[in-house]
Amino acid sequence: MSQFQAIEFYKTSKSSYRLLPFRFIPLDEERYVLTNMAGEYLVSVRDKLSDLLQHKLSNDDPTYIELRARHFLIDEDSSIAPELLSIKLRTRYDRLAEFTGLHIFVVTLRCEHSCPYCQVSRQSEDKLRYDMSPEIAIGAIDLALRSPSRNIKIEFQGGEPLLNFELIKFIVLEAKKKNQQRGKNLAFVIATNLALVSQEILKFCREHSILISTSLDGPKDLHNTNRPRPGGNSYEKTIEGIKLVREMLGRDQVSALMTTTEASLNRVKEIIDEYLAQDFNGIFLRPLSPYGFAIKTKSYRAYNAERWLDFYKEGIEYIIELNRQNINFMEYYAATVLKKMLTSEDPGYVDLMSPSGIGIGAVVYNYDGSVYASDESRMLAEMGEEKFKLGKVLENSYEQIFTSPNLLDPLEESFAYSVPMCNDCAFEPYCGADPVFHYALYKDYVGRKPESEFCSRNMETFRFLIKKMEGDRFVRQLFTKWANN
Amino acid sequence: MEKEAKTISLNFDSQVFSLIAIKKAAYRYIDSFSADISIENNEVRCLLNFTSPKSDESCARLADDFKKEVLDQDLREKLKAETEPVRNLILAHAFSKTGIVSNEPVSGD
Amino acid sequence: MLKLHGNLPVLNSAAKDSYLVTVTTNANLPPVLKKNRALLMQPNQDPKGYKAILTREQGSKVFDGDSDVFLVSAEYDYLNEGDIIRLGPSSGSFNSLYRRNSPHNTILLTEQCNHYCLMCSQPPKDVDDSWLLQEAFELISLIPTDTEALGFSGGEPTLYGDRLIDLLHHTKRSLPNTAIDILSNGRAFKDLEFAKKYAAVEHPDMLIGIPIYSDDPVRHDYVVQSRGAFDDTIKGILNLKKVKQKVEIRIVIHKQTIDRLVKTCEFIARNLLFVDHIALMGLEITGFTRPNLELLWIDPYEYKDILSEAVAVLNGYGMNASVYNHQLCTVNPDVLGNYRKSISDWKNEYLEECVSCTKRGDCGGLFSSAKMYKHSKYIKAYR
Repeated sequence: MSQFQAIEFYKTSKSSYRLLPFRFIPLDEERYVLTNMAGEYLVSVRDKLSDLLQHKLSNDDPTYIELRARHFLIDEDSSIAPELLSIKLRTRYDRLAEFTGLHIFVVTLRCEHSCPYCQVSRQSEDKLRYDMSPEIAIGAIDLALRSPSRNIKIEFQGGEPLLNFELIKFIVLEAKKKNQQRGKNLAFVIATNLALVSQEILKFCREHSILISTSLDGPKDLHNTNRPRPGGNSYEKTIEGIKLVREMLGRDQVSALMTTTEASLNRVKEIIDEYLAQDFNGIFLRPLSPYGFAIKTKSYRAYNAERWLDFYKEGIEYIIELNRQNINFMEYYAATVLKKMLTSEDPGYVDLMSPSGIGIGAVVYNYDGSVYASDESRMLAEMGEEKFKLGKVLENSYEQIFTSPNLLDPLEESFAYSVPMCNDCAFEPYCGADPVFHYALYKDYVGRKPESEFCSRNMETFRFLIKKMEGDRFVRQLFTKWANN
Repeated sequence: MEKEAKTISLNFDSQVFSLIAIKKAAYRYIDSFSADISIENNEVRCLLNFTSPKSDESCARLADDFKKEVLDQDLREKLKAETEPVRNLILAHAFSKTGIVSNEPVSGD
Repeated sequence: MLKLHGNLPVLNSAAKDSYLVTVTTNANLPPVLKKNRALLMQPNQDPKGYKAILTREQGSKVFDGDSDVFLVSAEYDYLNEGDIIRLGPSSGSFNSLYRRNSPHNTILLTEQCNHYCLMCSQPPKDVDDSWLLQEAFELISLIPTDTEALGFSGGEPTLYGDRLIDLLHHTKRSLPNTAIDILSNGRAFKDLEFAKKYAAVEHPDMLIGIPIYSDDPVRHDYVVQSRGAFDDTIKGILNLKKVKQKVEIRIVIHKQTIDRLVKTCEFIARNLLFVDHIALMGLEITGFTRPNLELLWIDPYEYKDILSEAVAVLNGYGMNASVYNHQLCTVNPDVLGNYRKSISDWKNEYLEECVSCTKRGDCGGLFSSAKMYKHSKYIKAYR
């Protein structure tokens, strides 16, 4: 029997390593976040980072071993990292070929609510000229089915889309008929306030597996203050509606979104409790976007990134505590970011995509046939800025629309990898480009990132999530579960 | 280092720090100060003009952070230069047409 | 522990060289079949005409003629109809190669290996044992076609190169409905051409089990005692996936692999998400493990929380993972979804403490070697 060698035998005695491409940014006073080419992060103290960069780090150092295992350096003992990084990169960008997944049909602008933050400038009920016509609907369906993506989700929005339920039925049936030749996986969602939902409507939804997405801003007083309607009973109608949908379609067939307003900021726990009370498995804590009525009524300026961050952090802490007590409840914005941090998958969330998700992740067919690069693009147009209008259904071809300079220019110019400050930023793999946001506020696709609230909000969110994982094994496991959701 | 009312002057040895590093660092702080940058006798001079009212203490703090950021940017430049060839290799491999293995999970056979 | 290998007293020898033969308890086979059967003889049976006879008692009978006759003790009572054995009439050597009642049989193809793992249960021998490969061809032709699963192991089977591939083709033709698994360090597959030849077998249900002991290449190389092993193995796995073959990753848990176990699982989840299965295995106290016991032994009860964390990582990423070769009382409840009753039936035992345990039926028990030499000191019956 020959001798067994000690571990030192398998390690080259002289530490000489080659760095792999990575970026770094401070995490807090003492530590840095490093991200490799595949977007995987590692936390390190400044001294080690400095030693690493000056090629002074010893291969006995535990940090060295981490850095090699996590693909931040290669040496004579292992050089398989570049091949693995290529594969991971490729997986991340594979999704680009699967465009466009989400097709939003604005079937009417009519709405009986008058929410101050509404991104859509709603027209009151009796103006029928704000409904989409069947001709335009057919044209839009044809465009949607031209998408290379195997999975097509058609989402009905408004105004209040149920005010034009006849057209929704028409679109669902037409789309399914035309899809027989295409063979796509078609899914349908209606984004509705549920005030007008009925058994008859839900029968149709059940027959065609249509999902429902509604708004629930929090407990009754908060919700009703945020979302005024004649009768002042938006909350009651929503809760009733949710119960009816669950009865007729199933428990998981309805989801809820919330909008954060000034009034929400001190009440995140109550809002989460409301979602628990209504038997939801999670919540999406969204920031307020600077569009539509939100700008007009100054709701946007009512709070800034810092206050939203406090709100968000408090919400996450509370949700973590719930999970410690075995209550399974998820926060979807964190889950989206965590998917980018902890896996090679792309969650396909338009606001956090680079290249930007506009056109690639989603596209909007407005009631009047105008085609927009995203929901926010349409909102910007309502404010008079048509920068992201791509064309018109029935007037422009698929090629004209999807190669419109109004789409390609912002995609190219805002690609984070090429933008000042973003291209150096360690958080770039987790962040997005959002040219629409920046154009709305700063009149260019990129803005100056140090001044951008999109940037400061995102960076702080990334730091917060990373710090939580570093300290706490339970959180790390919980977040891993969310990331793979 | 001279301090005038809300203006701080810093000098960097141009043999040690690249101009690009200093400019990139200055860019990160444009929400806090604007920088007048000039070169004189092997030194890069930065005049930091603080944009909104700040205390002397926070100005000094920002100036310190700026100096750290210049160091970081300098390191980033070196890192980028050093890893450029292997980055191109990895990118080329990632987007080549050869039958690369995808990291997608297998759907149960 | 079953006695699968041994030396038997020879009461009569007719043949000279060793041969493979199928065991039968049926004393009334047609003569044409008797000629290639070994009869497990009962008293008062007439064994004439059988190729070999295995008898419990010598008695006053005189054995002569064309049969090889061996005396078997009670230790061989496990032998059954349909088992396939190798008998050596000159030396009395006995080897059980295939047991009909076992859910899974493994064929040893070679004891040669290009690794020298600290915990190797089949220590390498640098002798030309390619006759084992030859014999395997014959053995496979004898194995009944309703066999569900068959394994190939070594040493390192891929050292045979193309001849291993030939064996796989032969197995597919002889046993088209049998699932096969191969244990290998995977390094030979870093040659894409070899991987393609392997894929060309086009077997409907073939899996290769490849160990990765750490995300740290130096530690992996140390455990397998070979420089450059980690990179080659990963390369091999990537090639196998390129040609769409099923791969399982195996990790043996001991003191040299426990510290980075969780990180290793994270590495697998981030870099090898496509593998079909991950096996987390308890240590078998045999082969090299015994001389290296100081280096390797850690009581599983003491690492149960780390095991839970590792399993949670793999489950979290939606991967298929199993925990093998552990006793139920030494793992946390949160791994029960992944726990398998896995110790091969022939080397599976329980302790005295286990006799009264209410969960014995669900527990994999211990390795015979563990019972003999070293096991957790926390084995405790559930009441």
